[in-house]
Amino acid sequence: MQELLAELKEKIIETLDLIDVTPADFNEAEQLVGGKLGIDSIDVLELAMMIDRDYGLKIDNKQLGQKVFATLGTLAEYIHTNRTR
Amino acid sequence: MSGGRIFVTGMGIVSPLGRGVREHLDSLKQNRSGINPLSLFPASPGNVLPAGEIRGFTDGTGLPRTHEFALAAAREALAGREVVPDAVIIGTTTGGMPLTESLLKQNERRAELYRYHSTSSVAEKCAETFACNGPVITVTNACSSGSAAIKLACELLRSGRARRVLAGGADALCRLTYYGFNSLQLIDPAGARPLDRSRRGMTVAEGAAMLLLEAGDAAPDGALAEIMGGGLSCDAHHPASPHPEGAGALAAMKAALADAAIDLHDIDYINLHGTGTVDNDLSEAKAVRALFGKTMPPLSSIKGATGHSLAASGAIEAVVSAIAIREGIIPATTGCAEPDPSLELIPVLEPMEKKTGTILSNSFGFGGNNACLVLGNPEVNRHGRSGPASFRFEILGSACITGAGDLDQTIAKLKEGCECSGILPVVDISKNLPAREVRRLKRLPRLALALALGSRDAAGSEPASVFFGTSWGPLSETNDFLTGLYESGEQFTSPTDFVGSVHNAPAGQAAIWLKATGPNITATGGDRSFEEALLAAALTAAGRETLLVMAADEHHEILSPLFDPSVSAAGLPADGGGALCLRKTDAPSGMTIIHSFYERARGPGTVSSLISALGGTERIRAAHAALFAGIPAAERAEGEKQLADFISRSGFSAAIIDYRPLIGEFGSASAAAAAIATRLMKDGSIPASLAGGSERALNGKGILMLGLGTYITAIELIS
Repeated sequence: MQELLAELKEKIIETLDLIDVTPADFNEAEQLVGGKLGIDSIDVLELAMMIDRDYGLKIDNKQLGQKVFATLGTLAEYIHTNRTR
Repeated sequence: MSGGRIFVTGMGIVSPLGRGVREHLDSLKQNRSGINPLSLFPASPGNVLPAGEIRGFTDGTGLPRTHEFALAAAREALAGREVVPDAVIIGTTTGGMPLTESLLKQNERRAELYRYHSTSSVAEKCAETFACNGPVITVTNACSSGSAAIKLACELLRSGRARRVLAGGADALCRLTYYGFNSLQLIDPAGARPLDRSRRGMTVAEGAAMLLLEAGDAAPDGALAEIMGGGLSCDAHHPASPHPEGAGALAAMKAALADAAIDLHDIDYINLHGTGTVDNDLSEAKAVRALFGKTMPPLSSIKGATGHSLAASGAIEAVVSAIAIREGIIPATTGCAEPDPSLELIPVLEPMEKKTGTILSNSFGFGGNNACLVLGNPEVNRHGRSGPASFRFEILGSACITGAGDLDQTIAKLKEGCECSGILPVVDISKNLPAREVRRLKRLPRLALALALGSRDAAGSEPASVFFGTSWGPLSETNDFLTGLYESGEQFTSPTDFVGSVHNAPAGQAAIWLKATGPNITATGGDRSFEEALLAAALTAAGRETLLVMAADEHHEILSPLFDPSVSAAGLPADGGGALCLRKTDAPSGMTIIHSFYERARGPGTVSSLISALGGTERIRAAHAALFAGIPAAERAEGEKQLADFISRSGFSAAIIDYRPLIGEFGSASAAAAAIATRLMKDGSIPASLAGGSERALNGKGILMLGLGTYITAIELIS
């Protein structure tokens, strides 16, 4: 799980081009979207595409998205449980 | 001058509901849907979604579908009328993309095959086909393009500068829009169900509608409807989501009612934008409720039947509104089974027979671009209204970006006698932009933002509206989206690149940054994009407000040489743009700019028209001490001939600056040239390096800017 969290931090920074964010800036229990990292609704869709591509997991509706992308922790948990690759 | 009422004297339509007005009337009466599983191209596994496709359509012209749809609709609009439109104004976002994306997929590198890629080629093809030699404007305002084009046409007619305008919208299904909207999770897998409580999104569609609009005091024989007015606004809120309270939608509806000089209670039916996305329908419902309160007229959305044909939709719905007025029907909200109670609206669910005198038709798009139209019964007596009498603006501030840098750096290079064409590093373009906030923006939106903020700062005044010209739109985003799509076997696409690839994305960004909630128009007129943006501003700018008129283009190493024949002819990469902050004026003080001429070149006669539009040879010599000539490299032979003809006939002996070799070959070079010209006017002279060896004082005279080649344009800068 720790490994997945570390991997996700790197992937999020790279996918969203968060130029002034480092892995140390993430707190897995904090709000992921609309929080201090500056991640917004278009970024969430970009992350959904990355998760589909890299973990074989579709997050294609708003209700599920809101649950999964609540925090980095919920995202990692969801991927850990459901990943197909 | 013509009267101030605008009549629809011809109309044509092609959509998933059929071809022609008659088939649409039948489809609407029978509440038929044209939405079916996509068959136009093979969608990747798991991605076969419903689409509003016009099946079996081809005229065998070899033209892209967008062009074929536009021509088919225009042919119907002009059928039986031996008239030539004075202008053509078309909204389109896809242009030649249906063909281009297939060619790119095959890695096709023959530039001539891309000659119909440009969005502007749709209107140009229509103008050529129907022998129109007057102005052509291409509006690329995402999903409100068609309505915005009709609004511009109304103002051109009201101004008296045209008597007949062919106006409308056209878009064709393509991978870019199909996969793009899917990447935003905005497609309803069950087909669009506008206003339904279970709605999950829109259905991407295609089609075209064209209206022949004529100005007059009273309805001419055979008038089908009247365009009573239109209103434009910008959310200035988000690149792809509507304002949550519908603030921009409300402003556009109010502006349309005010423009039509009618009261709320006069509206008999609202044709909603109603795409079926959760957010659009919710924000539109809030706006409609805020405006109409308890006196809500019947309302419906036809997008559950037609799908959402993007730039065509506003024009299609204008034609449907005209049909509704003529035939006494109100179309159904096809696909809506159980209205969403949270919207607090009662949509019309089955087609209704009901006389409607006046209809409000809504269109909203990406970039927060809103356009609403009011259509009425032409037989009712009422007064029209006159349009803008003057196309003149005071210049409050200017900015440019060239290969040399900003306006100061560009002027310094030019004074040294050096060329300033080239590609400015993106880090230099972004020097005044906060890095985190522009992280998602690629080259073109950064160029546009830097220009917008630069000219705003130079003017010391906040623009309320934005008029943006671009020949090719955001090429980096377009290329990256399609590359990602093809490399992943059409499985994965970037929503960020899709949102960014929309031609009006940079103008939407500028509006957000400037909080500019007034009209926001992106004109994509090829080498005349800046001139078209200035014309759009002249037609729709409000009173004493500050507005931003700018144009920019980015060089893309793969796409630019394929799309732009002047880039391949010159062989030297260059890009940039220019921006002016302006204010409308009838009593000029200080430096002013005026859009003076725009016609298709058709031999020596056009140069004569140009000279006469500029007030004759004596006035030209008295008013101007320099001429900036913009001749695209691909049209050099023709352009040089026109320039020589103009000089010899006007007896113009002042400094001639052939600026494209200096600034570079890119579509919006004329915008950079305009900013440079304003600076030289301020300095009072043309430097020796540009004036053929010795400095030439302007002595209070102005600078004439000519665009030459296939079309001839004139802009005058006057002290």
